[in-house]
Amino acid sequence: MVSVKKKPNIFDTVKSYKLLVGLLIFAAIGVNTLNLVMPKLIANGLDAYTAGNFVMPTVAIEFSVIAIVVLILTIFQTYLQIYASEKVARDLRDRLASKISLQSSGFVQEANPSVLLTNLTSDIDAIKLFVAQAIPSIISSIVTIIGASALLLWINWKLGLAIVAIVPLIGITFFVIFSKIGPLFRKTQEAIDWLNRVINESILGSALIRVLHSEKPEMDKFMKANSEARNIGLGILKLFAAVIPAVTFISSLGIVIILGLGGKFVIAGSMSLGDFTAFMTYMAMFIFPIIILGFISNGIARSSASYARIAAVLNAPDVVPDGKIKADIKGDIEIKNVTLAGTDKPILQNISLHIKPKQKIAIIGPTAAGKTQLLYLLVGLVKPTEGNILYDGKNLAEYEPKSLHAEVGFVFQDSIMFNLTLRENIAFNTEVKNEALQKAIDTAELGDFIASLPKGLDTIVSERGTSLSGGQKQRVMLARALALNPKVLLLDDFTARVDGATEKRILENIGRNYSDLTLVSVTQKIQSIEHYDQIALLMEGEIIASGTHEALMESSPEYVQIFDSQKSTNTYESKK
Amino acid sequence: MNPKNNYKLNRGEKAEETSLPATLKKMWALIESEKRRVLLAFVAILTNSGLLLTGPYLVGYAITHYIIRPDYHMVLVFSGILLGVYSLAFVAQYLQVKTMGTVGQNVLWKLRNDVFQKLQSLPLAFFNQNKTGDLISRINNDTDKLNQFFSQALMQFVGTIFMVTGAGIFLLVINFRLAVAVLLPAVLLLLFTRISSGWIKSQNLKNLQSTGGMSSEIQESLANFKVIIAFNRRDYFRQKFSEANEKNYRSAIASGIANGILSPIFDFASNVAQLIFLGYGIYLISTGALAIGFFVSFLTYINRFYDPLRQLANLWATFQAALAGWDRIGEILRLESDLAILPPGAEKQKDAPLLEFKDVSFGYPDGNLIINNISFALEAGKTYALVGPTGGGKTTTASLMARLYDPTEGTIFLEGRDIRGYEPTERTKKIGFILQEPFLFNGTVRENILYGNEEYANLDSKALEEMFAKADLGKLLSRFTKGLDTEVKSSGDATSLGQRQLIAFMRALIRRPDLLILDEATANIDTVTEALLQEIINKLPKETTKVIIAHRLNTIENADHIFFVNGGTITPAGSFEHAIEMLLHGKRKS
Repeated sequence: MVSVKKKPNIFDTVKSYKLLVGLLIFAAIGVNTLNLVMPKLIANGLDAYTAGNFVMPTVAIEFSVIAIVVLILTIFQTYLQIYASEKVARDLRDRLASKISLQSSGFVQEANPSVLLTNLTSDIDAIKLFVAQAIPSIISSIVTIIGASALLLWINWKLGLAIVAIVPLIGITFFVIFSKIGPLFRKTQEAIDWLNRVINESILGSALIRVLHSEKPEMDKFMKANSEARNIGLGILKLFAAVIPAVTFISSLGIVIILGLGGKFVIAGSMSLGDFTAFMTYMAMFIFPIIILGFISNGIARSSASYARIAAVLNAPDVVPDGKIKADIKGDIEIKNVTLAGTDKPILQNISLHIKPKQKIAIIGPTAAGKTQLLYLLVGLVKPTEGNILYDGKNLAEYEPKSLHAEVGFVFQDSIMFNLTLRENIAFNTEVKNEALQKAIDTAELGDFIASLPKGLDTIVSERGTSLSGGQKQRVMLARALALNPKVLLLDDFTARVDGATEKRILENIGRNYSDLTLVSVTQKIQSIEHYDQIALLMEGEIIASGTHEALMESSPEYVQIFDSQKSTNTYESKK
Repeated sequence: MNPKNNYKLNRGEKAEETSLPATLKKMWALIESEKRRVLLAFVAILTNSGLLLTGPYLVGYAITHYIIRPDYHMVLVFSGILLGVYSLAFVAQYLQVKTMGTVGQNVLWKLRNDVFQKLQSLPLAFFNQNKTGDLISRINNDTDKLNQFFSQALMQFVGTIFMVTGAGIFLLVINFRLAVAVLLPAVLLLLFTRISSGWIKSQNLKNLQSTGGMSSEIQESLANFKVIIAFNRRDYFRQKFSEANEKNYRSAIASGIANGILSPIFDFASNVAQLIFLGYGIYLISTGALAIGFFVSFLTYINRFYDPLRQLANLWATFQAALAGWDRIGEILRLESDLAILPPGAEKQKDAPLLEFKDVSFGYPDGNLIINNISFALEAGKTYALVGPTGGGKTTTASLMARLYDPTEGTIFLEGRDIRGYEPTERTKKIGFILQEPFLFNGTVRENILYGNEEYANLDSKALEEMFAKADLGKLLSRFTKGLDTEVKSSGDATSLGQRQLIAFMRALIRRPDLLILDEATANIDTVTEALLQEIINKLPKETTKVIIAHRLNTIENADHIFFVNGGTITPAGSFEHAIEMLLHGKRKS
């Protein structure tokens, strides 16, 4: 589903930070060039001493000045790389989060929240590492390698050439090993996704796990994911463990060459002892950046794998551009020949329904008939595969979502709470005024409850709303929708967790306080909807009957069956 | 002090200052099982460092003896020896990297397991008090900080310490006075490192905390995405995330500055040492106290001493970050469940009620009393209904029955024995609890129904279907397009709430518990299907006790006894009519 035009390139991440990266490169080059000069100063000192014209103060001053400049430059470079990497990471996170925030609910489910969490944390960390370490290290390593080889060649080109010849050998070693490690890094991130998912499930399902005492199977599940992560890690290690020793060994060959060949030159008198010393030092300088490059290419492989995952989200097609019409709807809703495809069979099939302004309509039907999905269609949470949803005769897609969502209140079936205050949970849409908030609270019969809390509306709701009872959560959800002062109210099985008396009062409140509402209510209880303008009976994705209660009692045996299953209670309730 | 039932992490109070030796001791416990590998790596590190250190000495010897006094044959012999030394070093180094890397992976594996196991041992209250994202961050991110230390840093750490010590010894052997002079800057570094370590660690800890916070934001927003869309608050996610991101950015820079402070100073010290060497060394050569051939070796050893020391500066930061991660993990590992298993008391009493509450009160750590001194008994084989307004304490009462929490006061007896004396296996076998919020794991319907069920785990499809048919559950399975093989997801709306409840119902029923608690377990199931469920419940063995919490009156009308639960108290309602009367006219207290 994600189309990638070209292979994501990790260097794209720093494209818009040219100045920062430029400064970083400048500092890195500066530090490394100066570092190269220092051994030469010492060699010069030694040669000057042998020649008998050694002047300590001059050498000391030269040396100290360079050392201090190096100190300042390294501090500058260190902090610059921290600043640059954190900035890149922060901006990339923001970009990623904005991209996700614009996606549909389906996209987030499809992409899987656990994976998105890894994208935003662990994957970005890998990018950070790339900017903080890889870029300066590549630059300084290359500078050092080029500088050191130039100096080696300059001091003694024959010996220098012999040593520089080692570089391709090292290059080949790297290439062979890293081409094998690359794919393993992608697997590592996938293993982390897996771990995240198991941890996530074990936390969200913690109550169930304790009720069933299934801590052990959970542990086994975790152990399996964890072992997979370890095996991949060990696989990488097996390859990676060879890199450093191999490179060290190949570089050590350089020292053997210097001793064998350079020794000959010194004996023959074609090379000074001071130069021989400098050669040894430059050799060490020459090796170190090569080893660093080895490490870094490992890091780049990891960062590239992570960036590919991030880019897949960033490059996901944009959602269809929003409509432009500012909604000021009357509440006329028409569902026209709507079909919604599912994985195995259609979830909804050829649904048509017309709801006039201020009408009250109920949708009833068995479990998994597609009732909730039908409501989702009405707010655009899912898009119909075929057919249209019309508000006041205009297609849902033509409206600006922002203004439409402000007029259509949705009370979800499952309770969704944010770790915010009660006030923020109810006035979740920030445009809600105090007055509307109070009216919503009163209508949802939450006034007494809120008054009983020491901090009232400013009480913080814990994550997943564990501090509230099921019914309280459902009423908060209702208040959240009502606080919008909506023209249309969609209730998804709202009455399921509220006791009969409260339910009755709430429904009366709604009728009184929000008399202009168009109401669409998915419910199981016939008794509370008997007087509705229309009742649609949904079964297996199709509307098999619709009409008033009386009409349905006449015409639909399925409706009568549902009615009968609730009859005994009705007699009790009508008694009061 | 830790009040009962308080499992809140991130309380902001300063963690106990643990001394370095104590921390190292704890960390050693982690790698203790890897003793042999660590030993092998140790030997490899020693060998490798020793061999690499011999190199310059051999070169120096060759220069002094065979280049200055020319003997090219011996120069070649020494070149050969050098090649041999480096080959051995190659093998030793490979062993070292591989072995320590394995240790790191094993430690990470063990540590993650330990944390997860600890999570499993903690009671529900812990999960209610902490954020999912933060916990994930602790298990993944913080353990990884330790992994980085163990797999990469530790071996380098040990390696470099050897290198440094070795090079120092060589320096001292070649020329004691010169060595003391060039090592002087290192002593100053040591002091500086000691002073700054605490600060570095605390900056890292703050950074890990903000990472955990950010992770929580992402977790919450993604889980609640449909509300964010429907209430037109896409900006909410962006804004909340942006805040957390900004906070994380600042703390990351602060910890970066802390981690980066050592490196330049170490570099500088290394240069100062070289300067001392140049001045003092040449002086010593001029007085004849140092052979000119060793000038080269000495310089090499100075580099061999200070270069690893510079690496050590970076490693030290990794070490401090690992310590910070360890603190956060330790916070979890130190928690102990309050729901201890007591030694079993008296044997099961014959005529004791199945379950009895005696003067039970329950409150959350914040002080609100949810259940206020209630007493009642449930007789085997009877059906009980708990009714009452929302927030009255029904779910809490049910949770106490299943020992998801322990009462803050009073005792609960299961078959006459304190419920705290039961092993979890025995207790959960007796008590089936269908939770208000059904939870599914990613997988198939089969996996979800059989979840945590050892008895049926190994049955094949056919045997399973027979079993389902026998339990009258076959009809329910037909509500899923592919029956037992229907795929369901833990999040998202692919599976409706009603379907989730059906799965939860079947999951509890096939375990045939003695006490079956249904907490609004069928609230979102249509009434026709619900009637079917009622039939299934009615066919349960006669001695099965049922506790039903429901708002639909027809769900509870067949109960033998009805309890009215409100404001933390429980009142027997006598008759169904009386219960309805209380429901309709009882004033909500909470």
